Amino acid sequence: MIITSAKPFEEILNLLKNEDNIFVIGCNVCAAKLKTGGEPEVLEMCRRLEESGKHVVGWALPTAACSIRSFESLAEKNEKINEASCILVMGCGSGVSSVASVVNLPIYGSNNTLSLGGSGGGKLLSDQCVMCGDCTISEYGGLCPKSQCPKALLNGPCGGSVDGMCEVNREKNCVWTLIYERLKRINRLDLLYVSHAPQEHGFK
Amino acid sequence: MLFNFREKLNSRKFLVTAEVSPPKGTRFSAPLEDARQLKGVADALNVTDNQCSIMHMSSLAFSKLLLDQGHEPIMQLTCRDRNRIGLQSDLLGAYALGIRNICLMTGDFPTCGDHPGSKPVYDLDSVQLIELVRKLDSGIDFAGNRLDGGTSFCAGAVSGIDPEKTMQLIKLEKKVRGGADFIQTQAVYDVGIFEEFMEAVNHLEVPVIAGLIPLKSLGMAEYMNKNISGIHVPEEIMLRMKDASSPLEEGLLIASETIKELIKLSRGVHVMPIGSHKNTPRLLSMAGISEK
Repeated sequence: MIITSAKPFEEILNLLKNEDNIFVIGCNVCAAKLKTGGEPEVLEMCRRLEESGKHVVGWALPTAACSIRSFESLAEKNEKINEASCILVMGCGSGVSSVASVVNLPIYGSNNTLSLGGSGGGKLLSDQCVMCGDCTISEYGGLCPKSQCPKALLNGPCGGSVDGMCEVNREKNCVWTLIYERLKRINRLDLLYVSHAPQEHGFK
Repeated sequence: MLFNFREKLNSRKFLVTAEVSPPKGTRFSAPLEDARQLKGVADALNVTDNQCSIMHMSSLAFSKLLLDQGHEPIMQLTCRDRNRIGLQSDLLGAYALGIRNICLMTGDFPTCGDHPGSKPVYDLDSVQLIELVRKLDSGIDFAGNRLDGGTSFCAGAVSGIDPEKTMQLIKLEKKVRGGADFIQTQAVYDVGIFEEFMEAVNHLEVPVIAGLIPLKSLGMAEYMNKNISGIHVPEEIMLRMKDASSPLEEGLLIASETIKELIKLSRGVHVMPIGSHKNTPRLLSMAGISEK
């Protein structure tokens, strides 16, 4: 799941300050789960835009904003898109890009895209993967330091953690503490002694 | 007879290193003047690399300025600001300018400092940086290209001193396996804990230089206990600071007593006072360390 957060409404309004006849596109997958682009949020957005003096020509909720077949497929959902002067997408950055690839109108995004996350055991998990193209997560017991350590350290923790919490965000566990505990639980502490080479960034 | 830092590391001499900071700006006379007090007192001077992520003159440039004044610098280099190209080119430049000692570390995150929005690099980590230096020493770069003149660095690394922190100890082991010539530690206040740490790393057979930050006040001790990773000021020292009529003098006395204990346990001390080195020569003489 792509983790997004909604931009403040004032910021969205400022983005749209020279626009009118807006068509709003939500996303019924990740953004709906996170309440940043599901049906209730899309309807609320339309209402607030109208309240602020903007004309909303219509809205649509494709299954996934990041998987749009064609402009026609959007028009099939709501033909009002033909009257639009611009599009506001309530999805992640990929959703905005995908819609932009089939619509020749100015396009805006209402969310900030934060990370590739997920949910496990009923808890929302952020920063689970950085999509580096060279997966070594099994070396760390299923927790990726490239995504969960702000310094992406591959050979162990920095000296900054206090009581098992991260130097950068004291509310978050240091992932190296979690990796240690997990490898201990699965009886694989030997993995900690491996010296890892740096990530290769050049080619994916 | 003159010894350089590397030769002293291999001798049986108890070493003194001290931390100095480059200026925030281009005027360097004041920090050079501060360093001058350490002549004949410290064996080498660590030069911080934008410490606490607060932007300063580069450690490379200030190391060269110190070298020109007859000091022996240990240039600190963090992984925070440069990718592998930048790190290597600064290391080659430093060596060409006569800098022979370096100390390699991860580096605080940019959000700790005065440019919180800057891009954190960390292309390499501290273990990989040590391995990289050993490559440059063998005359090839990270990518395997032959260098027209390699380096021969005396390269150190840093460590916390909590013997309970297994992950930190494993990382230290990787640093030593990667080729670290010496280790400088976080500040020691509890000699008992440091002794346990030394037992835990004894098998690594690497010279350990123990960190020391003289206390200036009870508030400073409380702040460090709460906020600085790996620092533990024990209750007994807290009480002494609380009751002291001159906390500054008491802090120096405590530090000098700590040094006397550390002489039996470590290869040296690394003095990192908050502020200037005004009291460092006196501290060392209180600890019975004679001038070099």
